[in-house]
Amino acid sequence: MAPDLALGGLQQWLQAVIVHPGTVDQALAARGAAALVPASRTDRVVLPSARLSAPQRVGVYHGMYLTRMREALESDYPGLARFLGPAAWERLVQSYVEAHPSRSYTLNVLGGHLPDFVRAARVRRPAFCRDLARLEWAVTEVFDAPETPPLTEAALAAVAPGEWERARLVPVAALRLVVLEHDAGAHLDALREGRRRPPVRRRRCRVVVCRRNYAVFRREQTAAAFALLDDLVSGLPVGRALARALERRGARLGADEAFRLFRDWAAMGLFRAVEMERRRDPKPTVGRAPRDGR
Amino acid sequence: MNRFGLPDLGIGIGLRTTHFGEILAGAPAVDWFEVLSENFMDTGGRPLHVLDRVVERYPVALHGVSLSIGSTDPLDRAYLRKLKALAGRTRARWVSDHLCWTGVLGRNTHDLLPLPYDEATLRHVARRVKQVQDALERPLVLENPSTYLAFARSTMPEWEFLARLCDASGCGLLLDVNNIYVSGFNHGFDPRQYLDAIPADRVVQIHLAGHTNHGTHILDTHDGPAIDAVWDLYARLCARTGPVSTLFEWDASIPPLADVRAEAEKARPLRRAAAATGTHGA
Repeated sequence: MAPDLALGGLQQWLQAVIVHPGTVDQALAARGAAALVPASRTDRVVLPSARLSAPQRVGVYHGMYLTRMREALESDYPGLARFLGPAAWERLVQSYVEAHPSRSYTLNVLGGHLPDFVRAARVRRPAFCRDLARLEWAVTEVFDAPETPPLTEAALAAVAPGEWERARLVPVAALRLVVLEHDAGAHLDALREGRRRPPVRRRRCRVVVCRRNYAVFRREQTAAAFALLDDLVSGLPVGRALARALERRGARLGADEAFRLFRDWAAMGLFRAVEMERRRDPKPTVGRAPRDGR
Repeated sequence: MNRFGLPDLGIGIGLRTTHFGEILAGAPAVDWFEVLSENFMDTGGRPLHVLDRVVERYPVALHGVSLSIGSTDPLDRAYLRKLKALAGRTRARWVSDHLCWTGVLGRNTHDLLPLPYDEATLRHVARRVKQVQDALERPLVLENPSTYLAFARSTMPEWEFLARLCDASGCGLLLDVNNIYVSGFNHGFDPRQYLDAIPADRVVQIHLAGHTNHGTHILDTHDGPAIDAVWDLYARLCARTGPVSTLFEWDASIPPLADVRAEAEKARPLRRAAAATGTHGA
């Protein structure tokens, strides 16, 4: 049947073939495509050329699909691709785009589900792969986040000492806080510097991913510093966040240390504004900065 | 001059990430840049910063790959809103995309997939072009794609489909001379027949590029210089259109900016010759 498919049916058929894994012959014979055009009648829909049969011509498009998806994902996940190696990476990409095909006009968001997907995929060291992917996706998000001017010294100086108690620090858009169970950053450092990748090391890492002057950077934080920063970007007033930091069991922070951290974070450009908590409204008025789950 | 009054910008190249540093540092002598729309719609980082700097110094045109004008899915209105906003931000001289579809059932294959050239498809695409033009409030410029298969149901050649689409919808043309060569090889038609049948006053822009010949078929790979036969076709087209904004595409194995410029500059004497002979419009 179906050489006289309407345009919509024709497009559904060709797409079903193109995105199907395996060879083009397997794709043409697969249920979804064959229900629209039986494989044996491909040449009733697509003309052969002087040098290629109809299935071979469809195969040109079929062959390019996975390559395009692999290249797009590899640009976001170079570390993961390198860790897995070409064969395992290709298998991961194939299964991933089957589960999460692109539904956007841009390939920039194609890889958004990969960190969770790889955790359940049949790859070596899946927990490490997830950490590596989470860190790489955070870098991608920060790279593309809107540019927001960081807090100036003048803006900081404008806050009266007595006002800091109820001041909230508003994070820049290009900021992500990531907690990892493996030292995935060492793998990205090795990739960037052209070194051999280090052994997988299990270690809790608390990482700030941010951008300054359009360059993305990563900084690891101590447990105490990260907890304080997490409170601040979550919208807690400085006074309450500091009080929690000074009382936190196991990761307590001294006042001097907290002051030094504020200075460092301001220099890194993590915040864009200071807002005052309204005295009669205890609910946070500032949206939480996106934070990768822990 | 095209019928839209859109300017001849001269010889341009595509704005590519690998050249950002060179462009910001040196203000290279490029007449204009073509900007891939989707690369700048959802980013607020360095790419958009560089684009803003480029727009301060150069004219730009937007070129998209995800409009999917031939798809049977509904038009993506959110995409069109972002495209219009980007066109405004960049003061784009025109907005182009491809005569193709990229996906259906909500999916995007991110490929420029071929259409059957028949009456039903012509009506379908013309209707959507008008909708896009209404949304963008400007003429849409459509590029002929390179294609690797042809549908049995097609009832007219691509050049006739394009000419009739222009009449039915009011769109302009971005004529990719390399794509005409590639499709001519893949489908067995004479590229000169294609060029001679195109409504010259609809041509707003011309693309040139390199390709890869696999013997059985040619792939439009944009990874090197154009072959002589493509330059010959370009000269033939210029003789009909007169000097038209021309862009050299180089998207894989991208060399330094100077090399891309040098390849693009090969178009200049051919444009000049076309202007001198004054046979265009024939």
